[in-house]
Amino acid sequence: MENVLSIKGLTKRYGRLTAVNDLSLEVGRGDVFGILGPNGSGKTTTLGILLDVINKTSGEFSWFGQPPTKEVRKRIGAILETPIFYPYLSAVKNLEIVAAIKEAPTANIEPALKKVELFERKDDKFRTYSLGMKQRLSIASALICDPEVMILDEPTNGLDPQGIAEIRELIKRIAAEGKTIILASHLLDEVQKVCTHFCVLKKGSLLYSGSVDEIGAGAVTVEVMADQALDGALKNWTGAKEVKQENGRYVVTLAEDQSAVGLNRYLFEQGLVASHLLTQKKSLEKQFLELLAESENA
Amino acid sequence: MLRLLRIDLLKLTSYRAFWVLNILYGLLIIGIPSGVIEFLKWLKSIGADFDNFDPMKIPILYFPDIWQNITYVYTLLKIFMAIIVVITISNEFSYKTVRQNIIDGLSRGDFLKSKLATIFLLSLGSSLLVLLTGLITGLIYTPDVSFSEMFDGVEFVFAYFLDLFGFLVFAFLMTILLKRSALTVFILMIYRPVELILIANLPKAIEGIGNYFPLQSMSNMIEVPFPRYIFREIQDYVSLGFVAVSLLWIVLFVYAIYSKLKASDL
Ligand SMILES: Nc1ncnc2c1ncn2[C@@H]1O[C@H](COP(=O)(O)OP(=O)(O)O)[C@@H](O)[C@H]1O
Ligand SMILES: [Mg+2]
Repeated sequence: MENVLSIKGLTKRYGRLTAVNDLSLEVGRGDVFGILGPNGSGKTTTLGILLDVINKTSGEFSWFGQPPTKEVRKRIGAILETPIFYPYLSAVKNLEIVAAIKEAPTANIEPALKKVELFERKDDKFRTYSLGMKQRLSIASALICDPEVMILDEPTNGLDPQGIAEIRELIKRIAAEGKTIILASHLLDEVQKVCTHFCVLKKGSLLYSGSVDEIGAGAVTVEVMADQALDGALKNWTGAKEVKQENGRYVVTLAEDQSAVGLNRYLFEQGLVASHLLTQKKSLEKQFLELLAESENA
Repeated sequence: MLRLLRIDLLKLTSYRAFWVLNILYGLLIIGIPSGVIEFLKWLKSIGADFDNFDPMKIPILYFPDIWQNITYVYTLLKIFMAIIVVITISNEFSYKTVRQNIIDGLSRGDFLKSKLATIFLLSLGSSLLVLLTGLITGLIYTPDVSFSEMFDGVEFVFAYFLDLFGFLVFAFLMTILLKRSALTVFILMIYRPVELILIANLPKAIEGIGNYFPLQSMSNMIEVPFPRYIFREIQDYVSLGFVAVSLLWIVLFVYAIYSKLKASDL
């Protein structure tokens, strides 16, 4: 599949601090790509470099297989960190400026405002907007040029639960239209709910990059308890990837295509009866924490 | 370029402070000649006696003297227009809108050009107002106007334009360097006196270079006209040499702004 974005060895140093460290990434067309990492891990800095507001120290990147230019940026809809608009101008006037810069038709303004449900408030000054409305306006602004790629940086930051749900719905709807979306977030839950692919950054370095499904698949565990000892039997089972003992329970990581049913049947065949069986899909959160912990030890 | 000018005007035309400051500056331009007249009338009314000379007959606002006289006074007021430039450009940094403009698809060069286009337009507008004010005032007060006299010395309006444009570009540079508007306006206000003190204290051997300092070289285009009314010799033409030096400074300022923008993380 054609890559929308390709990054090679990108590095940004602020004096002695390395904000982005030799980062290489590929984002495919149609992906909803999450950049996941705790605060200060270099997400905004990376996006800032990709959008030419921050000067890189070294490395390369290309959009749509072309070197980055202002013309390429006109095809991207992006917001970094917080919604940025002229506070003394109305939503419409602000979007007219965006349209003029992007050389997009002003006819796109009305549908964009309707999509984010701000059309009724279009003539109110930006500074009178609530945070949720500001976030929605910035999404509308990113939609003005009917972009091939949307970049959203912590789009739900500071919102109440309802606002968060609204924005996530909006992102999913936009993704469903086939647009490529790059979403930076420190919230696992958000990435898991919205993204198809993701990478994990820590202190500017890439820890992991892959698809959300992939990481979900190999991660099913089953908790087993029984009156007899089970280690021998469980370890001999071909469906087990790993068996661990935790406070009187066995935690079995299943191999692919296996389920608790198979495990139960196997035990029964061995003349063993389980008193407790619990399937657990290992959450992205757990894996994320594990990834961070691994890198700590490394 | 027109596209970039349009973008910048979209930002400004609904900005109240922009209009308020522009209108104030315009009123200042229109108001000064009337102020001068009122002053002369007042001199007359208190019976100031210049050996039976009527102060109203001093040809301050007569063609062709008027051009150098008013443009010289107007160049002293350019700080008011600079405030507009400083506020609107520092806004772009405090609101971070410059960052969003770049993200949306302007290059840093485009941003610079769009601001220069507005500065050019402001300077041009002021110059046209000065031209109009000069023509009307001259027509009112000059006894026996002849058409050829009217435009004699009108090149001072061009010098005024260049002086204003140069100062506004200088204000742009200072804003980019200092970012904060109040500080920038303060520095702009004390810069000229500081430059004058510096020039006055230059060692004898390099005294001459004082004339080429940025604001000094610009102010050298239009010399102080008033000593002529006490029969002193003055430079009553626009110094082309200093027009060239001023242009050079403007190019340098623009280059400095561009380099600074290019090197900055926004
Ligand atoms: N202008 C700057 N000067 C110095 N350090 C910076 C600057 N901007 C960001 N940093 C540092 O770079 C690191 C990455 O920041 P950032 O990209 O904002 O992280 P994130 O978006 O993942 O929270 C942080 O340690 C931050 O303090
Ligand atoms: Mg950030």
